[in-house]
Amino acid sequence: MSTRRHVLVGGGVAAAATATHLRKHGFDGEIVLVGDEPQPPYERPPLSKDFLLGTTEFEEFQVRPPAWYDEQSVDLRVGIRVTAIDVPGRSVTLSTGERLGYDGLVLATGVRPRRLPGFDGDRVHYLRTAADSQRLRAQLAESERVVVIGAGFIGCEVAAAAVGLGKQVTIFDPAPTPLARVLGATIGSVMTGIHRSRGVQIRAGEYISELRHTGDGMLLTSNLGHRVECDLVVVGIGCEPNVELAAEAGLATDGGIVVDEYGRTSAPDIYAAGDVAAQYHPVYGRTIRVEHHDNALRQGANVALNLTGSAEPFAEAHWFWSDQYEHSLQSVGRPADLEDLVIRGSLEDHDFSAFSLVDGRIQAVISLNRPRDVLEVRRMLFAPHEVTAEQLRDESVPLKRLIPRSPWATARA
Amino acid sequence: MSSAITGQWQEAMHLDDLWEGEMEGVEIDGKKVLLVNIDGEVRAYKNRCPHQAWALDEGDFDGQTITCVRHMWTFDALSGKGTNPDNCELITYPCRVEEDGTILVDVR
Ligand SMILES: Cc1cc2nc3c(=O)[nH]c(=O)nc-3n(C[C@H](O)[C@H](O)[C@H](O)COP(=O)(O)OP(=O)(O)OC[C@H]3O[C@@H](n4cnc5c(N)ncnc54)[C@H](O)[C@@H]3O)c2cc1C
Ligand code: FES
Repeated sequence: MSTRRHVLVGGGVAAAATATHLRKHGFDGEIVLVGDEPQPPYERPPLSKDFLLGTTEFEEFQVRPPAWYDEQSVDLRVGIRVTAIDVPGRSVTLSTGERLGYDGLVLATGVRPRRLPGFDGDRVHYLRTAADSQRLRAQLAESERVVVIGAGFIGCEVAAAAVGLGKQVTIFDPAPTPLARVLGATIGSVMTGIHRSRGVQIRAGEYISELRHTGDGMLLTSNLGHRVECDLVVVGIGCEPNVELAAEAGLATDGGIVVDEYGRTSAPDIYAAGDVAAQYHPVYGRTIRVEHHDNALRQGANVALNLTGSAEPFAEAHWFWSDQYEHSLQSVGRPADLEDLVIRGSLEDHDFSAFSLVDGRIQAVISLNRPRDVLEVRRMLFAPHEVTAEQLRDESVPLKRLIPRSPWATARA
Repeated sequence: MSSAITGQWQEAMHLDDLWEGEMEGVEIDGKKVLLVNIDGEVRAYKNRCPHQAWALDEGDFDGQTITCVRHMWTFDALSGKGTNPDNCELITYPCRVEEDGTILVDVR
């Protein structure tokens, strides 16, 4: 009898979580983790924050110390790509030419930054990997004028870090309000205010249409004809899922590798998890792809459960954070309408939670410097509850009290 | 991680003020300490998350698990061990409860 082998493709947190949880659930066959980056799995959030600032070192955000993989008999192949999947033959081909048979295959290939055609070169940065962040960190040290293209989370976090390093920062974004696409105009404006108060120039409704390298920097031209000189450009305009490997093998993809609530792709014994997975969510009744750390961890862990024989649908609430300056921005759930939010607390004081409320049910909360509210909402989001906008606004009533945790708790309250 | 007992016990709180299922941040000798009462068992930890040093008393305790609200890391309140992620640990201070209910902590 041969031992079973699970192959995990992609060296991010999702694949690492699958490996961890396969062992936790008692899988004692072979685990091969193949990642094309040179390092063992690590967490990406610090790459646009503390790591850029130089206040944390790489070792501190590795998912596991390198010795762990040996201890757990996880065959870690770093710096190696999976180049093809043979679905009927149940094997993958590696960039080394080796073929590996699998009993279960997990695709956790993540996403890559979307590139702006013509925006390349020594002093143009895209940020996804530790190597990207190291390169940016080194160049920031010798730059003064930084331009960020795209006011998404990564752009805003890099801007905050660059300001923290004493740089002069300008953000361009074609939208009228930065971050409005993800946070709505109200909270987008609050975040814009925070960046402006730190000295960041925000050029909303304006984008860079041309980049020219000059002797000692770059000359950018905006769609409005404005010219800006700078030493360094960071492009943060979103990501594209790494679906090619799956698509070429004939797996269903649709803006991500399509999986059901158990993480199963359209091919037998092949799963997908993390940023690359477009997963059917049983609570929402539709397929959703999210690019958040916590989701990648949980989906990775969930796939391990399903690979070890206990079918468990993935029905978790989506939660994320973004740390900018000293501010903690967090959200849980999926807002129904970002322009229709109930505010608890004070926008001016940067101390609030904004609720998306539909028919007495909370759909989501976005909080600035109120992580506790997010925790409370996360607990009850998918549980029965009924609240009014007035109750949410009234700070004299603790959220916990509004939200019956169990029938027993209601009876007692 | 535990620091050694130096025998320098200091009064931290009274058990009457720390109910079962509650945690409280206190300062002892200039050190921020988190006291937790788990079904009558009292523990003392450094009041700093091992992740990014956030104050744990701003977080949540559900009777069993301590959650740091900054990035939602969770810890088993009895052992101080990380549960998610599981490769971290709170810093423990020696702690005992006197017969009269005084909670003593050794932060040296
Ligand atoms: C700068 C930055 C800051 C972030 N900050 C936050 C934050 O504050 N909060 C938050 O919630 N989320 C944040 N995120 C998002 C979070 O990091 C991602 O959601 C998470 O990394 C997804 O993990 P994953 O394992 O799915 O994919 P990834 O981490 O992308 O890992 C996939 C890996 O697979 C490799 N790979 C791809 N194809 C192959 C192949 N064929 N063979 C072998 N290897 C392959 C890739 O190179 C990569 O190493 C941030 C992301 C970035 C880039
Ligand atoms: S600081 Fe506690 S979880 Fe990050």
